[in-house]
Amino acid sequence: MENLFDKIVTAPMMDCFQKLIEFLPNLLSSLVIFILGFLSGWIIKSIIQKVLGILNTDRFCKRMGITQVLEKGGIKTPPSKLLSQISYWFVVIIFFIMSLYTLKIPAIEDLLEKFFLYLPNVFVSALLIIVGYILSNFAGRATLIASVNSGIKFSGLLSKTVKTILFLLAFTMSLEQLGIGHDTVIVAFTVIFGGIVFALSLAFGLGGKDVAKEYLEKKFKGEAEKEDELKHL
Amino acid sequence: MPENTIALRKDVQEKINELGEADIVVGIPSYNNAKTIGHVVRAVQAGLSKYFPDAKSVLVNSDGGSTDGTMDVVRETTVDFDSILLHHRVGNLHKIITPYHGIPGKGSAFRTIFEIAKTLNVKACAVVDSDLRSITPEWIELLIRPVLNAGYDYVAPYYHRHKYDGTITNTIVYPMTRALYGHRIRQPIGGDFGLSGKLATFYLTKNVWETDVARFGIDIWMTTTAVANSFKVCQAFLGAKIHDPKEPGSDLSAMLHQVVISVFNLMEEYVTIWKDIKGSKPVPTFGFVYSVGLEPIKVNLDAMIDKFRLGVKELSVMYESFLPGELMWFLATVGDKPKEKFSIPDNVWVEIVYNFALACHRKLMSREHIIKSLTPLYLGKVASFVIETWESTAAEVEQRLEELCIAFEKGKPYLVERWFEEEEE
Repeated sequence: MENLFDKIVTAPMMDCFQKLIEFLPNLLSSLVIFILGFLSGWIIKSIIQKVLGILNTDRFCKRMGITQVLEKGGIKTPPSKLLSQISYWFVVIIFFIMSLYTLKIPAIEDLLEKFFLYLPNVFVSALLIIVGYILSNFAGRATLIASVNSGIKFSGLLSKTVKTILFLLAFTMSLEQLGIGHDTVIVAFTVIFGGIVFALSLAFGLGGKDVAKEYLEKKFKGEAEKEDELKHL
Repeated sequence: MPENTIALRKDVQEKINELGEADIVVGIPSYNNAKTIGHVVRAVQAGLSKYFPDAKSVLVNSDGGSTDGTMDVVRETTVDFDSILLHHRVGNLHKIITPYHGIPGKGSAFRTIFEIAKTLNVKACAVVDSDLRSITPEWIELLIRPVLNAGYDYVAPYYHRHKYDGTITNTIVYPMTRALYGHRIRQPIGGDFGLSGKLATFYLTKNVWETDVARFGIDIWMTTTAVANSFKVCQAFLGAKIHDPKEPGSDLSAMLHQVVISVFNLMEEYVTIWKDIKGSKPVPTFGFVYSVGLEPIKVNLDAMIDKFRLGVKELSVMYESFLPGELMWFLATVGDKPKEKFSIPDNVWVEIVYNFALACHRKLMSREHIIKSLTPLYLGKVASFVIETWESTAAEVEQRLEELCIAFEKGKPYLVERWFEEEEE
């Protein structure tokens, strides 16, 4: 009877206790790493905030229209503060992952390995979105100003089209980087882009053929506008 | 002071060594001006021979790589002195014809001319455009004499132009330069100048020859640098200015950008000078001033007002980031008025220009975008000016421009206050 009790209760409990004793140092170091993460995060956050302040990042973001987009999304925090907060949580998460590794649980280790392999894709994809946004904004504004100065009535639409196409291109590239949809995204983008160009060609060809004719006649027959003889310089 | 010397070509150096020193250098920058440069060279030669017969004079043609034989025209052009009844010619005019090096542009051409002037240790120097059709020998005297006889360092041109000729100069560059630096130089970007050898050497010490100044903006840079560095400045009345029309493809917003960016860049450099200057004073004017005719010209007012309206409608999101709310409201409402009542008052225009300068100073976005977005508003102001002065004589228009200049001077405290307000933020 005593032997049976040992076999059913005492031995597993002893085994469990033994495993707990073996696991405790891992848990302890995991906890220490986790706490260290908060401390390091705070230090990194302070440094980044200072550096971004020196580099005048808030002004740069305002110039590039990033601040306005954040505000539209309900984020009132200045970009420099936002970036430092992101870096804080980034460090905390890294330390958290390290602390999970320290636990040496095979299932978690396997999951983390997959996560780490995927992580660079997330970074590249985020970078593509940010650069794409900045470039599309810049190109959209340049198009708007140039078309307004040329007296094109649908300047706003033209600018928005350029901006959207460029951003869509960056977005497609980022999805491609994340491995989402692969060919589907590219095909969809090609179809949409091709469709827009085709639609515009049709619209101009049918609706604006007289304007086009007039323009080309003026251009090639030398009938330049001579209505204005003002000399600006 | 740092010297920004450039290496001159071997043949040019040999010619300079042969000459040793000279009294006067007249420079002509050129690029594919074979059709017009012959007349300019003849006027310069006649002017130097007629008015400075005892001086050792050198004509320098600084060419940007013309392919139409411009340099050959300069080389071969001579003056028939008998036909202009000039018999007392003493001096011998020397010619230096050289392509310039560096960034393509008028500024680089000037740099080579100044370098030669410095090496020859000249007393006076003048530069004239190669596309001039109205230049006469008297221009040379008027640009050089104040330097040689009255000790001036910089002689700005003063022309009589059509009331609607030079609208960028009239509505932005002249009033702004005058309000900032306190000197009433009527044509700060005229293109033809006289200067002392001392000032030519001073220009060469400035570290700008690899910047936009080398390409464009050299005219306003020279004027502002002379004034801001307290050189003795005057202007000379040259009569009418008639020159070959610019390239038909030249874009207004690009022109506006080139000129205005130069003014704004110089504001950054000379802020310590202009911030304390109040009002303005006239500069001495040489020459016999007379008025020129005002032949009617065609002005497409509707097109200008349409572009203004389109600009206000489409660019308002951009403007809102640097123009005050009241100004935005005004711009939105003025476009609705009929053509006859369309008017942009001087104080509004001053506020617009100063706020554009502040936006560029604060680098709120690409400076090129900011300045190019000024084009529709500028066209609005020009349209308003044309409507207001359609029946006016040249003298009345000049008086009207004087009022605009005074508005710029009165508005200057607003600019100064906001300029530094931003820096304290």
